[in-house]
Amino acid sequence: METILEIKHLNKRFGNKLVLKDLNLTVKKGEVVCIIGPSGSGKSTFLRCLNLLEEPNSGEIIFEGHNLIAKSADLDRLRMKMGMVFQNFNLFNNLNVLNNCIIGQTKVLKRKKTEAIKIALELLKQVGMEAYINETASNLSGGQKQRVAISRALAMNPKIMLFDEPTSALDPEMIGDVLNVMRNLASTGLTLIVVTHEMDFAKEVANTIVFMDQGQILETNNPEVIFNNPKHQRTKTFLKRVIEKK
Amino acid sequence: MLTKIMPQGFIEGIIFLIKEYYPLFLDGIKYTVIISLTGTLLGLLLALIITPIKTATISKRDRIMLIIFKRCGICLATLYVEILRGTPMMVQAVIFYYGLRGMGIDMSINFFGILYIPGIIVSGITIVSVNTSAYIIEVLRGSINAIDKGQMEAARSLGMTKLQALLKIIIPQALRNCIPAIGNEFVINIKDTSVLSVIAVTELFYMTKRINSIYYRQTEGFIIAAIIYLILTFTTTRLLYWISNKLGNRKQLTYPTSQSY
Ligand SMILES: Nc1ncnc2c1ncn2[C@@H]1O[C@H](COP(=O)(O)OP(=O)(O)O)[C@@H](O)[C@H]1O
Ligand SMILES: [Mg+2]
Repeated sequence: METILEIKHLNKRFGNKLVLKDLNLTVKKGEVVCIIGPSGSGKSTFLRCLNLLEEPNSGEIIFEGHNLIAKSADLDRLRMKMGMVFQNFNLFNNLNVLNNCIIGQTKVLKRKKTEAIKIALELLKQVGMEAYINETASNLSGGQKQRVAISRALAMNPKIMLFDEPTSALDPEMIGDVLNVMRNLASTGLTLIVVTHEMDFAKEVANTIVFMDQGQILETNNPEVIFNNPKHQRTKTFLKRVIEKK
Repeated sequence: MLTKIMPQGFIEGIIFLIKEYYPLFLDGIKYTVIISLTGTLLGLLLALIITPIKTATISKRDRIMLIIFKRCGICLATLYVEILRGTPMMVQAVIFYYGLRGMGIDMSINFFGILYIPGIIVSGITIVSVNTSAYIIEVLRGSINAIDKGQMEAARSLGMTKLQALLKIIIPQALRNCIPAIGNEFVINIKDTSVLSVIAVTELFYMTKRINSIYYRQTEGFIIAAIIYLILTFTTTRLLYWISNKLGNRKQLTYPTSQSY
């Protein structure tokens, strides 16, 4: 299958601290990649480097043939093709649900307002939020916010969706709704990169699991190998601890 | 017209001045309110234009011309704020007024004969607007910094430019949070327009001085002025507090202090 994203020798430091060390990863079109690993291992930083919310110090990120790290890359154009969903939602507080899902379409994609509304309503319907279009973010529960945030990103017709622990800030009874939305997305053939602690979800949905520890990718493999027969001792220890916690 | 005799007593004197000269006081009130209100609103408008320039950040990806442009913008905006906040409005007023006069510029505005605004009032409004903008820029900047960084990141991740994110997402939220502070600027301006009397703007303080000079008696007139100022600021503060509550701002208005020290 066609490669959509290729990361080569990516390094990122904060001050003197090297938090991402020589990361390499190839993502194919339609693939679902789950990134797992202990907290502080650099998962969020890695994801944020992919759409340049953090500027990497060296390496290459090749997305649809363009190196994003090159100075000449048109970031705003490339960013709109990569949807991002944050742990704490980041819905626009000054806009209602519908306008959250419209503003990117009209301001960035220059869609007509009527068209943008149609697309937003369709997406909000898919996540069961069409009854809340006039609410502001502060009136929604965490799970509802996250479903709106996913619709907002999808409204831009992204080629890749990046999720940074989308269910970590949710009450347990809300997690299922959001994971279901993501499952549906995976089945549509959209490329997903998901940082998650939901091991069952990863096992079920991912084509590829990336295990990160201390700023490095220690293992990249399919779920069967990672969960049943990991090569690295640290992967084993991590998975054992996560499963015990449950 | 013969001038009437002003009674000797203090209270009688006050009553006499109010009775005989209330049209002049009203005129002063009118200009004080007009100048401080439009000055604050135009100051806000100026601040909205200048704040994005002052808070511009230079990214490694910017082209060289853009970097130069941004650097100049940041420098000029910083200079603007520092100078205006670092000098008294009274000094700004005389420099502006005599500067224009020296160049022979007429500031009066005439809208097709429908609306005529005398040059001195336009000058007053300009001075207050520019001075106020410097304070509002700082208020706005603090308010922008207080907005969760995630809002900007979410906007950028949709492909919005930094300017789009500022105008559509960040500034609307910041503005809402600083409505009380902008209200304070208005109250401060009601008091501080009195310094415009040095260039003979016909606001309340100037009108009071004119009335006082008729009888060579100072205290009575200024007491009246003080009471009028107090009524103006008190009602404005309450009004702003009420508006602010309506808009759901829980932060209370702090009692304003003067800026012209
Ligand atoms: N903005 C930042 N400035 C400095 N250090 C940071 C910053 N963001 C993250 N870090 C550090 O980088 C490391 C990786 O963090 P992060 O990517 O958030 O890990 P994870 O998402 O796996 O928990 C941590 O040690 C963290 O303290
Ligand atoms: Mg994280």
